[in-house]
Amino acid sequence: MKVSLNWLKDYVQIPLKPADLAERLSMLGLEVESFEDLARKFDKFIVGEVVEKRKHPNADKLTLCRVDVGREKLDIVCGAPNVAEGQKVAVALVGATIPRNQHDPEGGPFVLERAKIRGLESNGMICSEYEMGLGDDTEGIMLLEPSARVGMPLAKHLHAADIIYDVEVTANRGDWLSHIGVAREIQVITGKRAVLPKVKIAQSRVSARKHATIRIADARKCRRYSSRILRNVRVGTSPRWLQDRLSSVGIRPINNIVDVTNYVLIETGQPLHAFDYDTLAGHAIIVKCAQDGDRFVTLDGKERMLNSDILMICDGERPVAIAGVMGGANTEISEQTTAVLLESANFEQGSIRRASKFLGLATDASQRFERGVDIEMTVFAANRAAQLIQELTGAEVLQGVIDVYPVRAKPRRISLRVSRTNAVLGTACTQQQVIGFMKRLNIRPSSVRKDTVVFDVPSYRYDLAEEIDLIEEVARVYGYDNIETKTSASVDFSKPIFFTSPVDEVRSYLIGAGFNEILTDSLQDHESGYLTQERAVEVLNPVSSEASVLRTSLIPGALRVVQNNRSRGQNDLRLFEIGSVFDVRDERLRESVEGYGEEERLLLVISGRVHAMHYALVERQVDFLDLKGEVEALLSKFCLDKYRFISYDSGSALIDSGLAVEINGSYAGFLGKISKSIAERFDIEDDVLVSEFKTAVILKESITEKKLRALPRFPSVRRDLAFIVEATVPQERIEAVIRGTGGGLVTQVRLFDLYVGGQVGAGKKSLAYALELQPLDRTLTDREADEFVGHIVRQVELACGAKLRSL
Amino acid sequence: MTERIENIRREFTEELSRVSSDSELEQVRIKYLARNGLIGALFDDLRSLPAAEKPAVGKMLNDLKRQAQQAFDDKRSTLEQSRGSREPAPDLTLPGRPRPTGTKHPLTQTMDEIKRIFAGMGFSVAIGPEIETDYNNFEALNFPKDHPARDMQDTFFISKNVLLRTHTSPVQIRTMQRQKPPVREIMPGRVYRNEAVSARSLVSFHQIEGLYVDRGVTFSDLKGTLVAFARQFYSIDVKYKFRPTFFPFTEPSADMYISCFLCAGGGCRMCKFAGWLEILGSGMVHPHVLQNVGYDTEKYTGFAFGMGIERIASLRYGIDDLRMFYDNDVRFLRQF
Repeated sequence: MKVSLNWLKDYVQIPLKPADLAERLSMLGLEVESFEDLARKFDKFIVGEVVEKRKHPNADKLTLCRVDVGREKLDIVCGAPNVAEGQKVAVALVGATIPRNQHDPEGGPFVLERAKIRGLESNGMICSEYEMGLGDDTEGIMLLEPSARVGMPLAKHLHAADIIYDVEVTANRGDWLSHIGVAREIQVITGKRAVLPKVKIAQSRVSARKHATIRIADARKCRRYSSRILRNVRVGTSPRWLQDRLSSVGIRPINNIVDVTNYVLIETGQPLHAFDYDTLAGHAIIVKCAQDGDRFVTLDGKERMLNSDILMICDGERPVAIAGVMGGANTEISEQTTAVLLESANFEQGSIRRASKFLGLATDASQRFERGVDIEMTVFAANRAAQLIQELTGAEVLQGVIDVYPVRAKPRRISLRVSRTNAVLGTACTQQQVIGFMKRLNIRPSSVRKDTVVFDVPSYRYDLAEEIDLIEEVARVYGYDNIETKTSASVDFSKPIFFTSPVDEVRSYLIGAGFNEILTDSLQDHESGYLTQERAVEVLNPVSSEASVLRTSLIPGALRVVQNNRSRGQNDLRLFEIGSVFDVRDERLRESVEGYGEEERLLLVISGRVHAMHYALVERQVDFLDLKGEVEALLSKFCLDKYRFISYDSGSALIDSGLAVEINGSYAGFLGKISKSIAERFDIEDDVLVSEFKTAVILKESITEKKLRALPRFPSVRRDLAFIVEATVPQERIEAVIRGTGGGLVTQVRLFDLYVGGQVGAGKKSLAYALELQPLDRTLTDREADEFVGHIVRQVELACGAKLRSL
Repeated sequence: MTERIENIRREFTEELSRVSSDSELEQVRIKYLARNGLIGALFDDLRSLPAAEKPAVGKMLNDLKRQAQQAFDDKRSTLEQSRGSREPAPDLTLPGRPRPTGTKHPLTQTMDEIKRIFAGMGFSVAIGPEIETDYNNFEALNFPKDHPARDMQDTFFISKNVLLRTHTSPVQIRTMQRQKPPVREIMPGRVYRNEAVSARSLVSFHQIEGLYVDRGVTFSDLKGTLVAFARQFYSIDVKYKFRPTFFPFTEPSADMYISCFLCAGGGCRMCKFAGWLEILGSGMVHPHVLQNVGYDTEKYTGFAFGMGIERIASLRYGIDDLRMFYDNDVRFLRQF
């Protein structure tokens, strides 16, 4: 919201420098995002007169103007179609900072330099409204009144010696959405009272009541309706001072009646609406809800669909305004209007918010009503507007305010304990201090007991409802900076402190193993979300179709990362991600909120070459066994030997073939190669190998209590065995028999050679294993070892149809 | 004498040049360089010279000895090198066999660092789901229905009462529902906002929330704790200020600012020329929130705070487009 310093000074003295005021307001919670010194903004801008206009010899659309700026005449090249001799214009001199650049899509400022334009020197610039930051018109140059004085600084001509603050009003402080509201906050800083002007109206003898009837049918949604009626109104352009005021805070002047209602809105925060009195059927106002499906054309010419929750202002026959949001086209002030009914009403906050949301229409009025407008302001605002219209047009103001106020608001009283205040803030304020702070906020003590003070809260402070709200006010006025910053604290060791989660260890391990951690968006496009078998969770109101579904797997996001990296020439990738996936109603998932499942997963991805190019290494692309090795290392680290691989058909289009992993009997995840069709979809030509795990299963089965096993005291014995088997026998079977037969004595079985070829015969293969025999209680003799190994060989031969091959 | 020295120099040079084996080299050494060798003998003769000639001749002799030794050493090295031509010395300047280097994502690094600091102050880590109920995300946190405060956080809805959490604050509710005070937890996680994606705004990002509820917790403790954090995380002499603001679930509420560490308060693009950077939001837990989880508000008070990890990390690493965090270009990741 824009706030004018000159305007504020109508209500409160401000003995502060502009920058100090900004800082002090911010430190009270009314954040000043920026402020602008209009006089400085128009430094090197001057009123000029176009005394001569010629065609530019080298460009059709350009003209060369001679512009009188008082002390000299400047040649300026101009591109505007509307430039003409005799015009008074805004001229920027060389060195001026033009607030907005018409040729920059962002509209940023730039410094004007002397330039040659198509061969002719241009010594300045004739500006448009847009370039001056005074409006949105980019079509032509801004024309000043013919009476403007040539050579006068533009700021002076525009009465622009003002500071404009841009403030950010928090959602709880509707009262700040007005100049009097900001002025009251300045009162907190300076202690100088902020007051609204006295209103004086010359009322006619004719009673307003006899000329209109007002009825509130829904007293819950419309809490008060105050009205003034004016006759013999002349609609026209507002005087300069009024236009300037509105423009300075970013409101476009329309006509004197509408401008006055806007002026009073900015002054008091009370939204007003002016109806053309003669268009109101039966000169009646009835406040009631619309019916579902009703249609209504608002001031902006748009037809709106209504519902039965939306409060309408109706005349004797039809709706004439959407209460608290926008007026109707049917009763709008026009040049023919001679009588006006002013509405100064108060509507319930939630109802206006729902209407505004439903209609997708947020206005200056709705924004204020939904935050809460001072219910005691309606009569003042109606009178103030009537006064101003009378002053501007000489209108007749009918006798009296029609004020329908079905349930009078009770004054709010809140008790505050000084002890509690100090207990929350860590301060040592006295009762007197607290009362002093409150007085600055127009919050008056009504009764004072030992520790407790009962305060009367002003009607405009809707945010103050209970003790804590007053404690906050104490803190604001006392100053957050003045509250002690406590530098000692105790730590409670009676409960365990968990500051790392087990998954952090998995992450550290993977980083050590040479993987780069990635983080990808969990919102994906529909197609990616449905690449797995799960039912994806969909967002009702996505920001785009690219982010409309929650991920069911970490794989699609990672493939996008692989794709992006490949497009930048980064093909050798070792990536991992730890993150949540989601699905609809799946009991297997750990977390479920209202039937929506959520589960943390770990994804490993490898693609490209095994290692960077090196003269002593054979270049090779990663394959399934590279990934399997990574998975084995990871699982051995965290789950020792409690895991096993089982054959696996994912059933999803993502994976060609792969293995599932079981840890202690629970499904933990899988590993495999991304299928060709999916890889193609992501423009990936190399193999991509992925492994996705449920982190909960790994962590549940991970070894947390580590106990030392005694190291062997006797030497181990190595024996190598090679078997010839049918080529179809999986390695795992042979290894399992060796281990099973070996019992505790065989501590290691390593496959060190795999051979298929002529020597072992067609359809056969040879597998060579190195066995480590580690006795715990004695040294093994050669004979014992040979006997033991012989037993293993027989078992393998029997179980796997193997034949021992002499090495 | 001078002439003898020159003769021996010439003979030594010539004989050394003919050496082609270690044994020949040894013979040369014994003949000339050993203690009783020819050069040694010249030193003996030096004693019998007149004192006037001694300095000049002595210098010549010393030069000869030094030069002969140098020539001998060079010859020995050459012999050794020529012998090695059959088995060259390994070139230790060759590149080592490559190993992959892993990296922790900069956002994780930032979160870990923040967690570490708060852990030191006795905070435990708690987490909660990203799909939340309207109740936990809004209502229990004192966001009334139909209140403009809801506009502060544009929300993705899954169904009428289920949504993607807009902040990590619902974890406060879950934590307090689960346990009685004292509660001292830090809650990292991913959150969602229905906003257009740009360099400065993402639809999903990370926050860390903190909560401390106990007897006698004051705004003074809030300031102390957060200043302690800023001193550890940014710099020990960081300047700070707390400014009133509004959050429905805390009162009083405060935004914390620190002096801009990029321009030392002088004003730069990152701090929008203000000299101050907003780093987190905080406040005393609103009594309604404590009541909603069944805590006795007369006995217990507390404070809560939250910060956006992407913002903290982008300031820290000088990243001006937040989308880079989720692009995962490995050339980016490997810098951290």
